[in-house]
Amino acid sequence: MDKKVKIKICVGTSCFVQGGSDLLLYNDFIDPEIIEKCDIEGISCFNACKGHENGSAPFVMINDKIYGDMTPEKLNKIVIEVYHARNK
Amino acid sequence: MLEINNQFTHLKSKVYATVLKCFFNGTLEEDIDKIPFWIIPKDTDPSRCCIYKERAMVRYRILAFLGINIEKDDDEMKPLSDYYREVISKQMKPLPVLTTISTACSACPQDQYLISDACRGCYARPCLANCPKDAIEFINGKASIIQEKCIRCGKCQEVCPFNSVLHRLVPCEGSCPVDAIKKNEKGFVEIDYKKCISCGKCSRSCPFGAIVERSSIFPVLQILQSKERTTAIIAPAIDGQFPGTLGQIKTAIKMVGFDDVVEVSEGAELTSINEAKELEHRIKRGDKLMSTSCCPSYVEIIEKHLPKLNAIKSDTLSPMAYTAQLVKERDPNTKIVFIGPCLAKRVEAVKLKTVDGVITFSELASMFIAKDIDVKEVQEADLGDTHSFEDCRDFAISEGVKGCVIKRMEDPSIVKPYNIDGIDKKVFKMLKVIDKIPSKGNFVEVMVCDGGCINGPGTIVKPKIAMKLRNGNTQAITKAMKKERLY
Repeated sequence: MDKKVKIKICVGTSCFVQGGSDLLLYNDFIDPEIIEKCDIEGISCFNACKGHENGSAPFVMINDKIYGDMTPEKLNKIVIEVYHARNK
Repeated sequence: MLEINNQFTHLKSKVYATVLKCFFNGTLEEDIDKIPFWIIPKDTDPSRCCIYKERAMVRYRILAFLGINIEKDDDEMKPLSDYYREVISKQMKPLPVLTTISTACSACPQDQYLISDACRGCYARPCLANCPKDAIEFINGKASIIQEKCIRCGKCQEVCPFNSVLHRLVPCEGSCPVDAIKKNEKGFVEIDYKKCISCGKCSRSCPFGAIVERSSIFPVLQILQSKERTTAIIAPAIDGQFPGTLGQIKTAIKMVGFDDVVEVSEGAELTSINEAKELEHRIKRGDKLMSTSCCPSYVEIIEKHLPKLNAIKSDTLSPMAYTAQLVKERDPNTKIVFIGPCLAKRVEAVKLKTVDGVITFSELASMFIAKDIDVKEVQEADLGDTHSFEDCRDFAISEGVKGCVIKRMEDPSIVKPYNIDGIDKKVFKMLKVIDKIPSKGNFVEVMVCDGGCINGPGTIVKPKIAMKLRNGNTQAITKAMKKERLY
């Protein structure tokens, strides 16, 4: 059975202002078939910005792993990778 | 214009937030000269020639944020802390809104049409046949443009089957609708303030960040720190700029230190009512055309370039002006700060005298970041009875103003409306003869920014995202909000 990829987009003010808002247009840059297999939501700041180990804003959490410096292209790439890795 | 998210805007928001953090901590005076080093540490991989220039640029961003007229008052020997002391001790002239940083300017060469390697030197040679000035010659079997003859009409580019003609642009000059950008004798950018309409298109177009807005946030911060009551009046475009509801945005603004928050849509209702009356009156007396008057950049166009259009511009006040009046009636002792997407509103505020400060959404966002306020997390404030002016929140969107006005007319059948959605060079030319062209209608809504205020220079998100958030249909956001908000 397919496991859904859990995508949490940080919409804390800092992430939102620094490009995170663009990620909310995920319908425009992620394949609809993949979106169906994902659980996507915008969540409040999860303090990824307080440390430096994950890069800088905007942050996205994919299956509990934190990714920084997120762009639509990068998000699309990672989601595809994670999805295929899970359903091998 | 550049995409709203780019390295420059990200740096800007980082600089703003850092400066404000220090300000709120009370350490700005001692820390301000360190900020360029914090933002560009030693190991940074520079996008400009070196980290030293990057730091110098951060210094200029800080100066602009302090509201310094860089073009006039830049003194490289003077520490930022000296500038800061001046800013908090004396009142600065709020205008002009824009200023230039010649060190950042790349002195881009004049715009030119060039033929690239893609030219195959074809037999048909449509470029040669279609050039109205005989500016195409063939050298070694390939086309070349004689620049002295070229009038930059772009015909050759249109007809080339190999797409080999390149138009090299000058972004700032190209974006200015009124030709207010010029180059000095060294080739660096200068603004002709007699022509500038403070629309901010140039500052959003320059990829080097050489044209910047002088923030007026420090006078506002000082008002907030004083004991005086302060009311924020928020432009209709604010809905959709933050990941939360209007009620949450209102709470967040109060957390920054404002005593009260009033929607400018309330004043927009008065604008609609009065403009509807005026329109009916004008049509009945035989006027051929009336235009809206709420876009301050358009008002600047009329004042500085096309005074004859005063005859068609409605005399109704803008939503900001009415809202300030309403607030003063209810609360005569309060200071009023307009929070909006617009730079030209500062020009209007100076004329009006009822508005004490103007800041943008991106400056407000920096205050939220500096104070660690997460809009989506805060409690929702009561917006009060918004029933009568709810539709006026559409003033922020192209075609919204005319809709609200027409709705409030006694006899809407007499009006034939159309709209000007964004003014660039071409539309400006058309504006010059708008009272002469066989009319497209008798009521025209004019917005200088494409799409309306939600695409203004002080916005945070792309209009598309703003529209989604306004309609509350961004799945991700609403899903998360549903959890907290029981709807």
